[in-house]
Amino acid sequence: MLTLIRREIRDNLIYVLAPCVVSILTVGILVSVFLSGIRAAAIPFAGLMLPVLFLGFGALGSAQMYGDRTNRISPLLSTLAVTRDRILAARVLTGVLAVLAALVPVIVASVILLQTFLPPFEFYRRMVVEVSVTAILAGLACYCVGLLVGGTTSRAWLLVGNLPLLALCASLLLVKGFGPDVMLILVVLIGALLVRTWLRFTTASL
Amino acid sequence: MNDSPIVVENLVKYYEGRCVLDGVSFTVPRGCIYGLLGRNGCGKTTMIRILLGLEPPTRGRTVVLGQDSTQLSANTHGRIGYVAEGHNLIQSYKVRRLVGLCKGLSLQWNEEFFGHLLETFRLPMDRKVKDLSAGMRAELNLALAMAIDPELLILDDPTLGLDTVARRQFLELAIDVIQRQGRTILFSSHILADVERIADRIGVIVAGKLVVDCSLDELKSRIKKLRVIFPGPAPDDLYVTDIVNQQKQGREMVLTVANWNPQKQAILETFHPESCTELPMSLEDIFIECTRPASAAVPPESEV
Repeated sequence: MLTLIRREIRDNLIYVLAPCVVSILTVGILVSVFLSGIRAAAIPFAGLMLPVLFLGFGALGSAQMYGDRTNRISPLLSTLAVTRDRILAARVLTGVLAVLAALVPVIVASVILLQTFLPPFEFYRRMVVEVSVTAILAGLACYCVGLLVGGTTSRAWLLVGNLPLLALCASLLLVKGFGPDVMLILVVLIGALLVRTWLRFTTASL
Repeated sequence: MNDSPIVVENLVKYYEGRCVLDGVSFTVPRGCIYGLLGRNGCGKTTMIRILLGLEPPTRGRTVVLGQDSTQLSANTHGRIGYVAEGHNLIQSYKVRRLVGLCKGLSLQWNEEFFGHLLETFRLPMDRKVKDLSAGMRAELNLALAMAIDPELLILDDPTLGLDTVARRQFLELAIDVIQRQGRTILFSSHILADVERIADRIGVIVAGKLVVDCSLDELKSRIKKLRVIFPGPAPDDLYVTDIVNQQKQGREMVLTVANWNPQKQAILETFHPESCTELPMSLEDIFIECTRPASAAVPPESEV
């Protein structure tokens, strides 16, 4: 499994690293915003950076599946001591790691900044937890959208198909906000997307 | 240890509405080199892909090393070496990286044998796969398939793109593999001389149907090509069954008959031929006769 995860990371290095770089930049900008005293600017800024990160996660999922198809990686891997289930599991684990690696630093930095600069209300603590979990789930949902859309053979559908689905995730957050309702919807969405991807990947001709 | 590493039962495959395989059944016994023959597009590659679980069958069942092909475990995959037609290697990788990946995902890796193959084929480890020649890619694919010490080796037109020397080396390697006890090889090829050299059982697919499945010796003994000269014009019908092909010109008739036996000989004698000469047939000749569009292929043995 480690060999497969290593291969996924190396083959999609740009797509794994790009969200991490955006994340580090976000943390740096958030810290400087808080230190400079214009704390009100932090929320719109985070609101701007999150869609960029989510787009990156979608691109990672698509790149993994589309790259696999165009480079005919799975037909080779499937003839080694590996099953399709394991190939997909390694792929999804890589995506989850990339999402966590990009979002966790932002979340940790936000928590530290909020605890340092804002009054210690219970309300804030709960809000931070809900926003963090929802952000991670939304990131995973966007990644799963990318996985599903990346299974296509058409480059046009790859570009066009990602956008409406990612917009759907984004509008869900805009309309419903961050909270338990959205978390539940996102968990169901992630489950459905993963099951569909798994069915398609394990039954298709390689 | 099951005695038949490959069992194919009534395999049917439709591809985009077209029947590619039509009720194919055969068994490959352990230790056998099975040569699968057929013209382009007759379904050889599809069958191999179904065996490896890369393609789902429409109907029927294939069992490889005791497991259904649609549910092959990682452990079973690890005991099968596969050389794909066109050599499915990751083109963007350097040879060293590809070797590392295959090694990392193998159950066992015979470093010594692989080193020997690299030396024999003179494969450059620091070049990208896409920069290798077709022959080198074939050699690399073969080396990777053989390095895992496979219990079953499946080769889909493995010598495609190889020059004569490399082809000879490949055949010797294949023989070397079979000599290791219990190894089984299923291979398809267009180069019939290669198949004739190493295969001990032959399957011929024509239009999705397996029309021949027997040992090479049996195939050669069952099919006879005769040049018959009659005193007058050659008769229109000899009343002999299992005629695969017949051509007549004046008094001469060239006849290819399956399941030749004394009864058929006796029927022929009733026409009082002036001479009846048996023409030698190579596997290639048999293949061409069997795959001719009008040919009835090789029917199972009949009474007459």
